[in-house]
Amino acid sequence: MGRSAGPATLILSSLADGAKHGYALTKDIEAFAGVRLAPGTLYEALSRLEGQGLIEALASDDRRRPYRLTAAGAEALHAHLQAQRHVADIGLRRLAGNWGVA
Amino acid sequence: MTAAGGAPPAAAGDAPAPTPGSLERRARRLLRWYPAGWRVRYGEEFAELLLAELAEQPRAWRRTVNVAQCGITARLAAAGLAGPPAGPAGARASLGTLTCSLAVFLTFGTAMWAQLAVGWQWAPPATMATTAAMLVMSGSLLFLAVLALLAAVPAGWVAILAGFRRQALALRAPTLLMGAGALVLVAGGRHFGNGWPGTGGHWWPHQGLAPGGIAAFGWASTLSVTSYWAHPAALVSFPPAELAWMVLSPAALLSLASGAVQLVRRLELSPRILAFETRIGRAAAAGMTAFLAGALCWVAQAGPGPHGLFRTGDIDVAGLAVMAAALATGWLAICRARPLPPARATGHR
Repeated sequence: MGRSAGPATLILSSLADGAKHGYALTKDIEAFAGVRLAPGTLYEALSRLEGQGLIEALASDDRRRPYRLTAAGAEALHAHLQAQRHVADIGLRRLAGNWGVA
Repeated sequence: MTAAGGAPPAAAGDAPAPTPGSLERRARRLLRWYPAGWRVRYGEEFAELLLAELAEQPRAWRRTVNVAQCGITARLAAAGLAGPPAGPAGARASLGTLTCSLAVFLTFGTAMWAQLAVGWQWAPPATMATTAAMLVMSGSLLFLAVLALLAAVPAGWVAILAGFRRQALALRAPTLLMGAGALVLVAGGRHFGNGWPGTGGHWWPHQGLAPGGIAAFGWASTLSVTSYWAHPAALVSFPPAELAWMVLSPAALLSLASGAVQLVRRLELSPRILAFETRIGRAAAAGMTAFLAGALCWVAQAGPGPHGLFRTGDIDVAGLAVMAAALATGWLAICRARPLPPARATGHR
């Protein structure tokens, strides 16, 4: 996911719940992460993730095209979140031990 | 900075609700920041997202800035100047941008070289700096000409083969554009070059560093690169045919260059030929660098030579700046060219 890990992680996490189009992605990410992705940023990340084969576009009857996670995308998201969790666990443990922050 | 879509902000409280038509127009205006290829793939769905965003929050300058910034990034990526390596298509885009940079560079470089080469027909330079600069610039131009030939042979062969296949239609317009530009340039360059006094008629040992005919052709084909544009009173005294050529020749150069760029971008080259063309592109960027170093040496060190020849002027300094910008763009493009498709990412990169 590289340099654009922020928007990419949010998009992949949203699509882990099922296929969504652009506006639905924006609203879902805003609801679960408190971040509103600007339209340009959203589509920059979508086109990059599609190019990497981590998501794919689905056929649609109207102009709103939904995207869904691919198997490679699920694998990449899982690896990324595991690494994030590892960092978060270490950080929380050190805070609890040295600063008394539970 | 205007609000989203560029419309002027209305006073709070009395702003009429935007109509679906006006929102659609604003979404379409925002979409224009993106390149055509991107709009074909994502345009409709992106416009739909923008419509929903505009309906929810009609005025948001941050959104306009974001769309503009991402659109410009997408345009740079389409030119092979930004974004992740995109395999063969990206390499063709990078080569196309290098071709464009080379065309600009050669237009200003040839104008500079030709005045020195024509001057040398009359008398050799008095300073070592000018002599060294001319040797480097002439050698670089010769090197670039050889590279152009080497690049044209496999690409030309692929274009001929493509002419027999379904790709022929896509190549017809750029080929015609390139051919028309080259034809006008050669015909006009020869006509006006032959009118330059003191060139073309000498025997080889008396022709200076470069043959007078070539020097005069270079001078005539880049006649529009001149500081006379800043002196309209002097321009009025020019023969009408020469003035017409000063207007027509940039159009011919533009036609030749844009045809070549489109051809490079559209030719479906095999990975092997693409890798070869990329190596040629890197060598061309090195040749451009050497030429610029020679030109810089002349402008920085040389004064007027015998009979006032080899005198530098503001137009040469401006030419150096344009060439430096073209070279930087060319290097950026060719350094990003990756002829092989990128490996599919399955995790962190």
